[in-house]
Amino acid sequence: MSDPHPLTAGLRRRGFLIGALGVGATLTACTSNEAPASSANVAVAAGDNAVAGTPVTIGFSAPAADHGWIAAIANNAAAQAGQYPDVTFEAVNPTNDVTQQIAAVDTLITKQVDALVILPNDGSQLTSLGRKAMAAGIPVINLDRIFDSPLAYRTWIGGDNYGMGVSAGTYVGEQLKAKGVTNPVIGEIAGIDSLPLTQARSQGFADALTSYGFVVGPRQAADFTAQGGQRVTANLLQAAPKLDALWNHDDDQGIGVLAAISQAARTEFFMVGGAGSANAMRDIKADNTVLKATVTYSPSMASSAIALARLVAQNKGMGDLVEKEVPTSITLASATITKENVDTYLALGFES
Amino acid sequence: MSDHSAAPGVTGTAPGAAPPASAPPASSPPPAVPATDERGRIEKAARAAEPRGSTLGRLLDSGVGRNLGLVAVLVLLCVVGVATADTFATTSNLLTILTSASIIGVITVGVTFVIIGGGIDLSVGKVMALASVWATTVATQSFGPVVMVFCALAVGAGAGLVNGLLIAYGRIVPFIVTLAMLISAQGLAERISGRRSQIVTDPTIAAIATTRLLGIPLLVYIFAAVVAVGWVLLNRTTFGRRTFAIGGNPEAARLAGLDVRRHTIALYVLSGLCCGIAAIMIASLTTTGSSTHGTLYELDAIAAVIIGGTLLTGGRGTLIGSILGVLVFTTITNLFVLNNLETEIQNIAKGVIIVIAVLIQTRARRSSSG
Amino acid sequence: MTPLLTMRGIVKEFPGVRALDGVDLDVDAGEVHCLLGQNGAGKSTLIKVIAGAHRPDAGEVVLDGTPVSFGSPQAADGAGIATIHQELDLVPALSVAENVMLGHEPSRWGFTRPSDAEALTRALLLRLGHPEIPPRREVGRLSAAGQQVVSMARALARDARLIVMDEPSAVLDPEEVRNLFRVIRELTAEGVAVVYISHRLDEIREVGDRVTVLKDGRTVARDLPARTTPTAEVIRLMTGRSIEYVFPERAAADPAADVVLEVDGLARAGEFAGVSFTVRAGEVVGLAGLVGSGRSEILETVYGARRATAGTVRVRGAALRTGSVPAAVRAGMGLCPEERKSQGLLLHEPVYRNVSLPALARFARAGFMRQDAEIAAAGGVTAQLDVRPADGTRAVRTLSGGNQQKVVLARWLLRGCTVLLLDEPTRGVDVGARSEIYALVRRLAAEGVAVVLVSSEVPEVLGLADRVLVVREGRVVHEAPACDLDEARVLDLVMEGTAHV
Repeated sequence: MSDPHPLTAGLRRRGFLIGALGVGATLTACTSNEAPASSANVAVAAGDNAVAGTPVTIGFSAPAADHGWIAAIANNAAAQAGQYPDVTFEAVNPTNDVTQQIAAVDTLITKQVDALVILPNDGSQLTSLGRKAMAAGIPVINLDRIFDSPLAYRTWIGGDNYGMGVSAGTYVGEQLKAKGVTNPVIGEIAGIDSLPLTQARSQGFADALTSYGFVVGPRQAADFTAQGGQRVTANLLQAAPKLDALWNHDDDQGIGVLAAISQAARTEFFMVGGAGSANAMRDIKADNTVLKATVTYSPSMASSAIALARLVAQNKGMGDLVEKEVPTSITLASATITKENVDTYLALGFES
Repeated sequence: MSDHSAAPGVTGTAPGAAPPASAPPASSPPPAVPATDERGRIEKAARAAEPRGSTLGRLLDSGVGRNLGLVAVLVLLCVVGVATADTFATTSNLLTILTSASIIGVITVGVTFVIIGGGIDLSVGKVMALASVWATTVATQSFGPVVMVFCALAVGAGAGLVNGLLIAYGRIVPFIVTLAMLISAQGLAERISGRRSQIVTDPTIAAIATTRLLGIPLLVYIFAAVVAVGWVLLNRTTFGRRTFAIGGNPEAARLAGLDVRRHTIALYVLSGLCCGIAAIMIASLTTTGSSTHGTLYELDAIAAVIIGGTLLTGGRGTLIGSILGVLVFTTITNLFVLNNLETEIQNIAKGVIIVIAVLIQTRARRSSSG
Repeated sequence: MTPLLTMRGIVKEFPGVRALDGVDLDVDAGEVHCLLGQNGAGKSTLIKVIAGAHRPDAGEVVLDGTPVSFGSPQAADGAGIATIHQELDLVPALSVAENVMLGHEPSRWGFTRPSDAEALTRALLLRLGHPEIPPRREVGRLSAAGQQVVSMARALARDARLIVMDEPSAVLDPEEVRNLFRVIRELTAEGVAVVYISHRLDEIREVGDRVTVLKDGRTVARDLPARTTPTAEVIRLMTGRSIEYVFPERAAADPAADVVLEVDGLARAGEFAGVSFTVRAGEVVGLAGLVGSGRSEILETVYGARRATAGTVRVRGAALRTGSVPAAVRAGMGLCPEERKSQGLLLHEPVYRNVSLPALARFARAGFMRQDAEIAAAGGVTAQLDVRPADGTRAVRTLSGGNQQKVVLARWLLRGCTVLLLDEPTRGVDVGARSEIYALVRRLAAEGVAVVLVSSEVPEVLGLADRVLVVREGRVVHEAPACDLDEARVLDLVMEGTAHV
C-alpha cells in the first residue's frame, strides 16, 4: 500500500523515473522504419511532351490512406509531379470525410489551380463538386472512383473492377479445367460489400466462372484490413473443409488471409490475390504459399493521372495518339500476374 | 450502556473484552484481536450469517450464476449452430471461435477493470494498433522477439499511463481523455507505419499464432491466462477490492483513505498492458502490425462488458460476464460465416441479438436477485 | 367522520426481510399524523407504499372510502398524494420553477409556458414564506433548506390532499423549522392531511396531532395524542425498553493527557480562517455552528479531504501533508462524513466490505485477500455495535439509516484510530441507535481516542463533548468547557450578529 519511509519512497520514485526514461529512449529508437525503396511508379514523358511547357499548378485530393493502395496513389502522384519542372504540385490534406474533401477541393478551386486530380471518397457525392470545378474553368482528372456525370470531369482514368473479377475468374477457371476438377468449391473473400467496386469485382468473377460452368461457393466480405481478412478467412475455412480455389479481392487484407490459411495449415487449394502489392508479388515469386497469382489494379494510375493533368492544362495531346486532345476516358487493363511473368511487374507493386 | 438493548447471545460486548479501537501508533496498527472467547463466537456467527457457503453458492456468486441469461444465449447460439451448419460442432471450429475471441477477449479484460473502476477506455483498439505497429517496425524487429514483446507492452502501458495521469491529475473526464488517445494513437500508428501494413518477419512472433499445445492454439492459452489472472486480481486481491470501491463510490473510497488517483492510474495502465498483450497476439495472427488493427474494438469490448452485466457507471460487474459477452459476439460471427450469410444480414442480426441478449440477461438477473 | 386514508394489515416482503408485517394507519383530513419508530421499523417502506413506489403484498389501502391500489408513483400523485422524501428528488440542473412543475408543466399545444410556470411558482414560494427564492435559479445552487422549500412547493403545486414528509427538519435551521411548521398549520387548516416523520420528539409535540408508533414492521400503538403522551411512554413503545440517560455519564478528561491533534492557523480561502485548537487523548471536542458556518469544512480540511490554504495539522507532533487523506489515515485519523450515503458508503457492497475498506491491507497476504479473516473481523466489530440485521454479507443499501451509520463507525473501530472525526453522527438516526452511538463515543474517548464532533444539535454537542468550539462565519468565536455552557448560551453565540437574534 503506502510507504511509511519517505527516503525509500524517494529512491523508488527516482528509480521509476530513470526506468521510465530508459523505456522511453528504447521505444523511440524502435520507431524507425527502414525507408522503403522508392517504389513510386513514374512515367517518363516522351517526345514533344518532354519539353517543359507553361508552368501549371495541379491540385490533388485523395482519401486518407488507411490502406497500402491509397498510400501508393498519393506517393505516385507526388513522385510523378516531381518529375516535371513545369508542374507545381498542390496536395490537400487527405481525409476520409466527404464534407472535408469538398471543403478542401473548394479551396483549390478558389486558388484557381490549372488542373485538378481528384480521387473522391464517393463518386456520387462529389459529382457536384466536379461540375463546380469544371464550371470554374478548371479541368478535372477523375481518378478511379467515377463521378455520376461526364460533365463533372474532363478525363476519367481508373481501373477496371469488373475486368479484375473477370481476370481472376478466368485464371481460376483455366487452372481448374486444366486439373480436370469437376464441381470445384471456389471461395471468395471480398472487400467492403457496400462499395460498388466490390460488387463489380464479384460480378466479373462470377460471370467469368460461369463460362467454365463453375459457381462461387462460400463468399464473405472483409474490410480491406489484414485483421478483417484473417478473421473472415479463419471462419470461412471452417465452413469449407475442402476448397479448390480462393479469390481474395485485395492483397492488403490478403496478408491476414494468408495468415489464417497457414494457421489452419490448409494447402489443398490455390489462391488468387487482387490489386498487385509488392508483397503478394514476392510471395508469388517465392512460390511457397497457396498464393499463385494476383490480378492487378495498379495504383500507377495516379502517376498517369498527373501526367494527363499536365497535358490537359498545357493543351497538349498524348504523344502516340493522333488526336490533339487527351481522351475523355482511359480504363486500365487488369493483368494477371503469375510466377512466370512476376518479374516484369515487380517494379509496379506497391508496398502494403 | 448500549448493551441493554442487545438480544442475549447475539450481540453485545463481553465485559472486559479487548476493544479493537484502542489507539494504535500509526506505523504498526495492531490487528483487531477480540478476546478469544468472543472471537470464536463471532466467527461462528459470521459463518452462520453467510448464507452461501457451499461450492454451489460460490459458483453462483462467481459470475457464471449471475450471467445465466448470457449462458442461455450462448447455448441457444450453439444449438442454432449445430442445427444449421454441420461443421459447427467440430473441434477445429470451436478452436477457431476461441482464437477469434482471444484478442478482443484480452482487451475486454482490461476494459472490464476500467469500467468497474468507474471509468471508460475508448482508446483500447488504437492503442493496440499503435503497439502492434511500434513492435513490428524494422528497427524493433531487428532486436528480436523479446524486445518486440517488451516494446508492445511498454507502448500499451505507456499509453495507459498517459490516460491515467490526465484523468487522475488533469481531472479531465475519461471519455474525452481516452477519445483523444484513440485519435492520437491512430495518428501516431499511421505516422510510424507510413500507413502500411508492416509484415512480421520474426519467426518466433509469427509462430505464436501457429503453435499448438495439446491441440489447442497458444493464443487460446494466452487468453485463458489473462482471464485467470484478471479474475484473481479482481476477486481475490486488495487491488480488485479497491477497484470496486472506487467505482462504486469514489468519494467514500477517498474518505476511507484509499489513494483514488493512484489506483485510477493503475487501472488505465492495466488496460493499456492488456492492449500490449493483444498487440503481440494480433501481430502474430495477421502476421502484420498495422494502424488499421483494432478499429471499433473499443465498442465491441464495451458492448461485451455491458451485456456481461457490468454497470456502465462502475462499482459492479463480473469478468466472467464480460468474457461470455465476447464469446457470444464471436460465436455470432462464426455462425454467419458458416451459413454463408451476407454482411448486411450479419449486421442486422447482430444488433437484434445484442438487444435480445441484454433483455434475457436483465430478466434472468432480476428474477434471480429479486 | 371517515378517515382520509386507512391502511389495514399492510405486508411488504423483500427477499429475506419482512419489512412490513401488518401495519395499520388512519389519517384524517386536516391533521398532522406523526409516524414514529426506530430506523428499520418500517417507516420508509410504509411511506413508499403510500406513495405508490412499492405495491403491498397484503392488506388494504382505502382512500376517501374507496379501496385503491397504486401501481406507480404517478397513480398516487393523481390521487392527490404527494411525498417529500428524505433524499430530495429534485433535478439539480433544472430551475426552481421547472422542478416545481416537473411532470405537470403548464402548456398549450405541447409548448411549455415558462412564464406561467414562474408565476405559479412565485405564488407558491410566497405562500411558503420564501419569496426570496428566484424561480429561475438552478436548484443545485440552492442551500439544502432552500431545496426543501422547493420540494414543499412541488407538493403544493399538485393540490395534494395528503402530503408525506420524511424527516423534513433534518437539514433545516431552527428558524426554518418554525417556518415549516407555520406552513404545515396553514395546510392542515385547509383540510390537507400531513403524515410527518421525525426523530425529534419535541417537534412532534409542537406540530403533531396524533402519533402512530411502528416497531419491527408492526403498528404497536395507534392514534396517541401527540402533545400529552409522555416521552418515556413513546420511547418505551419504540424500543420496548426505557432509556433513562440519553447521554452517558463521563469521567472528567485528563488535563495532563498527551495532545494528540494540533490544528494551527488552519484556513481555506472563502470558507474559514485562523482555526486553531488542540485535542488531547481521551477528549471529545465539539464544534457547534449553523449549517454553512464552516464547521464541516473545517473537519474535512483537518482530515485532508480539502486542501488547506494555510495552517498546519499535527498528529502526535508530526505535521501531516496537506490535502492528503491517505496521509491522515496513516497518521491514525478517521472520519465519519456528513453525508453517509454519498460520502461514506459503498451502498451496493456487503456490510463487511464497507467495514474493512480502510484496513484492506491487514487482511491481505501479498495482495491476496484473506476473506474469511476479513469477514470474521468485520463481523466482530459490527456485532459489537449491534448492527442489524447481523448478516454481514447483506448489501449496506438494505440497512436502515442508524445501522448504516454504525457501519461507518465500525470501519474506524476495525482500523483503529487515534483521532476520530465525527460529522453529524446521529443525523437521521433513531433514539435507540443514537444513545448507542453516544455510549460508543464516550467509550472510545475513555480508551484514549481524541474525538472531534460536529453536530447541528446543540444538546448533543453539550451532552457529549468535554470542550466546545463555537464556529460562526468561518471563525472560532468561542471556546469553553462544555460544563460552562448551556443550550441558550451556545445558540446565542452561534447566531449572534445574524438576522435571527
